[in-house]
Amino acid sequence: MARPHIEPFCDRDVNFKNMLLPGFGRGMGYKMLSLDNDTGACSMTVQFDGGYSQAPGFSWSELEMIVIEGELQVGARKVRKGHYFFVPAGYALPALSSTGGAQVLMMYNTGEPSHVEATEHHPLSQVDLYHDIDSYMDIPWAVGNVTKPSVASGCMIKLLNYNPISHAMTFLYCMTPNFYQDNISYHDCAEESYHLWGTSWMMQFGDLPSGGYFWRPAYINHGAFASEFGCIALGRTDSKLFNHFHYNPWTTPVENRARSAARIYQRDPLLYRWMMSKDHNHPHSPQDFEQTMARRGPDYDHAAAAVSDGKEHHHWHGHHHRHDGDHDHSHSHEHGHRHD
Amino acid sequence: MTFKNLFIEHRRTPEAQAWIDEEVAAQEQRFQTIEKQMRDLAPQREIWYREFFDRISTIGFNADGDDKVRIKPEDLPVQPEGRRDRVVWKHGTDTD
Repeated sequence: MARPHIEPFCDRDVNFKNMLLPGFGRGMGYKMLSLDNDTGACSMTVQFDGGYSQAPGFSWSELEMIVIEGELQVGARKVRKGHYFFVPAGYALPALSSTGGAQVLMMYNTGEPSHVEATEHHPLSQVDLYHDIDSYMDIPWAVGNVTKPSVASGCMIKLLNYNPISHAMTFLYCMTPNFYQDNISYHDCAEESYHLWGTSWMMQFGDLPSGGYFWRPAYINHGAFASEFGCIALGRTDSKLFNHFHYNPWTTPVENRARSAARIYQRDPLLYRWMMSKDHNHPHSPQDFEQTMARRGPDYDHAAAAVSDGKEHHHWHGHHHRHDGDHDHSHSHEHGHRHD
Repeated sequence: MTFKNLFIEHRRTPEAQAWIDEEVAAQEQRFQTIEKQMRDLAPQREIWYREFFDRISTIGFNADGDDKVRIKPEDLPVQPEGRRDRVVWKHGTDTD
């Protein structure tokens, strides 16, 4: 089975363990974030002690890494926090060392961590795919609408790696202070995130601070979203990212998946029929829960169900908004704020 | 992430297999802890759900980017009878 749902987790809550696998030498500590039970693929926060050095060599697995803190000497180059590497399996990196120590997020995508001493690439390595960049200094922030429907403004990204076949992505993302987005989302892909700095909030899981992490299998509800003071994080998906937004917090992953299929059926009926008829015939189309779910209805006492009297509500960011009278929520009117 | 078959076949050493087994066991413990923490968060989450319903029916639901749609109170969902609130799904759609 692939990686399980790990959400939320904060690496600050555990200690570094010594890396004892061969090839990595002494002075490398790690905190496991998530691991594929079968392949050994994993994501780890790694601490290189001051004076650490590693001989030139390659991994049997594809590797991504980004420097979190400190400086790393990679061959003749010194790289600093925010530097990102995409390293194909079998690609021989030069010697790696750190004089003053460094923390690095390391992601072995296709197998367990391994290091084979070598100064030449493995013959099967797809060396042309290697790339690295200072993601903090050399890439501008772009608006987050890489997919439609999109995230709210205030969530921006820097694309670090993109797979043109699967549309899998690795990216930095940030949320500006007071970012919020009031919807529930799920995706047709797994999603992973590590908070480099700052705290964000999700309605299902609460606050995710610096060092916060999740690995979330496909079709699991997450959101609404908010960040009071802003955050910056590294995010990844394992295939195309599509935002299925809705507002029912009680749906299951199976129902969400059926809704995804229903949306294909509604949008591309010819394609859908052809796909379904090749292998088997379904007597019923997949169910879109938004069309069938139980709703409150006109006789429901909505005012009584709300947490407030309809004039005052306790928002995610710890403020109390009070608004009297019937009005819209544009920012052209005055709010009476009361801070906790 | 990958997915261009960027993996080179090799024989996994017993040492590496032992390391994986140890990490899998630790991860299972971590999962149990997270699952309990998220169950314990349910009362707070219930309040967050109500506030969410309050906001999307007054301020609006983010339908796409900053485009907001106010959801009519009568269109808000109700929790299906007998279904407990659950947010952690070990293997997504393959969860028991």
